[in-house]
Amino acid sequence: MSLIIDVQHVTKRYGDKTALNKVEFSLEKGAPVALVGPNGAGKTTLFSLLCGYIQPSSGKISILGHAPGNSALFGRLSALPQDAQLDPRFTIAMQLNFYARLQGMSNKLAKKDTARVLDMVGLSDALTSLPSELSHGMRKRATIAQALLGSPEIVMLDEATAGLDPANAREIRAIVSEHASDVNFILSSHDLSELERLCDQVLYLDNGQLKQHQTLNNNDSAGFLTLRMKQIYSEIIPVILQIPGVSQVAMTQDKEYLLTISNEQGKLSIEMNLLTALASNNWSYTQLINGKTLENQLF
Amino acid sequence: MKISCSRIWCLVTFELLRLFTTKRGLLALSAFATIWFIILYYFVGSASSMVISPSFESMASQLFGALGLTALLDWPVAEYAIYWLVAVYFFPSFALLVCSDQFCSDKHRGTLRFITLRTTRAELVLGRYVGQLLIIAILILLTSIATTILASVRDVTLLSASLQIGAKLSLELLIVVMPFIALMSLLNNLVNSARLAIVAATLFFALGPLVLAFIQYQFGQVFYLNWLFPGEQISSILSQNNMVTSQYLLPLIQTALLLMTSHFLMKRASL
Repeated sequence: MSLIIDVQHVTKRYGDKTALNKVEFSLEKGAPVALVGPNGAGKTTLFSLLCGYIQPSSGKISILGHAPGNSALFGRLSALPQDAQLDPRFTIAMQLNFYARLQGMSNKLAKKDTARVLDMVGLSDALTSLPSELSHGMRKRATIAQALLGSPEIVMLDEATAGLDPANAREIRAIVSEHASDVNFILSSHDLSELERLCDQVLYLDNGQLKQHQTLNNNDSAGFLTLRMKQIYSEIIPVILQIPGVSQVAMTQDKEYLLTISNEQGKLSIEMNLLTALASNNWSYTQLINGKTLENQLF
Repeated sequence: MKISCSRIWCLVTFELLRLFTTKRGLLALSAFATIWFIILYYFVGSASSMVISPSFESMASQLFGALGLTALLDWPVAEYAIYWLVAVYFFPSFALLVCSDQFCSDKHRGTLRFITLRTTRAELVLGRYVGQLLIIAILILLTSIATTILASVRDVTLLSASLQIGAKLSLELLIVVMPFIALMSLLNNLVNSARLAIVAATLFFALGPLVLAFIQYQFGQVFYLNWLFPGEQISSILSQNNMVTSQYLLPLIQTALLLMTSHFLMKRASL
């Protein structure tokens, strides 16, 4: 496995406020990485540092062996920065064509690639539209398209699906899944279920500090089952506790239960017994998750 | 510092597109064309006929002599005398307006974040500057060609002399406007909009001489601070008398220093 991002003791201060405090992690080539954390945790600051938009107060960042902003990264690293907008005076095609040419493509290739990425995000009809003629969601998709120009090795998407309708958010997730084997995606989102579906690793930032750096579906989660019900059933916890192998049941949130399994080897029979118990009591469930949800892992 | 000429050229051509394909660019072009139509038709065309008319010759000589501009009367193409007097003040002012948005609104909007993933900040400053310079060069050339046509229509034998003097003056005008565009590049690092950049430039040129006057009053000299102001040499080159290379060195040095400062600020800016 090769190292794609190496962040060492990075601190970023804005005046008296410390946005990031001695953050340290390294990422290897592989499945998408999720960057999560509450508002103001420092996610966008970290994205901006990785993209070279801002300089760290101290520490060192290396991306594909180069400092952020180095010309060696042009075309290899791309990003969807949060709140960045396209120029309202030029058509989408003109701007994407310009970016593609800056990446070193010929005019002909740039046009072809612009059409390709716009097709990927479902904006083939918006080639000659001005950004102001598009809806918020369409503009967002156009900015996602610019991040897909050429063949980048790392794509950082900051809140890529925020503000998109469910169908388009799903399209974007499909694009990420489809290209995850060739491209290293780093995604930031508040939608934990989305990140859970797409990512294998999680960087959890809180108050400017990296609290956790973990791989999803790891052993910590192996001794658990998460059950989501359609409605609240008052008798459910005692019934589940009667199933052999279930040592503990906790209601993590409304209609959601976390089952602690004492015997991992017998997990399949526990799952079958659980489903049988639900059916015999006529209780409807919506999801049975093998392990903890990302939310339960982090909080 | 590695600079890619192809990326700079890409930035330059996009600036040309900004002028010739956007509504705002075309509006600026229309305004420019209207102003120059008036200048050429009413001032350059008529004023030159006045200069060469015997009845006005003595008056013009007296007037131009009082202003130290008698050398202009010796030019074979009188139209260019008026053209030069207007253009040498018009183009620097026009450059301040037209080149007021080299990257401030892109920075404010976040568009620079897309661009700086594909080009270095040095290339961005240089590319945008060269793009604006090329636009002004095209406009200078167009007005110069129009003046040549005016002169040639009056007397076709002036065509060759007009072309020569037109080329010389175009180059001189371009050197004059260079530091003004570089100043706007620098101011674009400090403000968030083109409007504010124009206000900042206006304040610079309005308050600057007042500050210099105060320094002169306090210390008896200005410590060469007047050299900080683009256009400082205009009054000495206006007469086209005793033209020396050093008079064109100042704008070139100012341009280099302003662009280096602009790059210095851009390199440290948070996007």
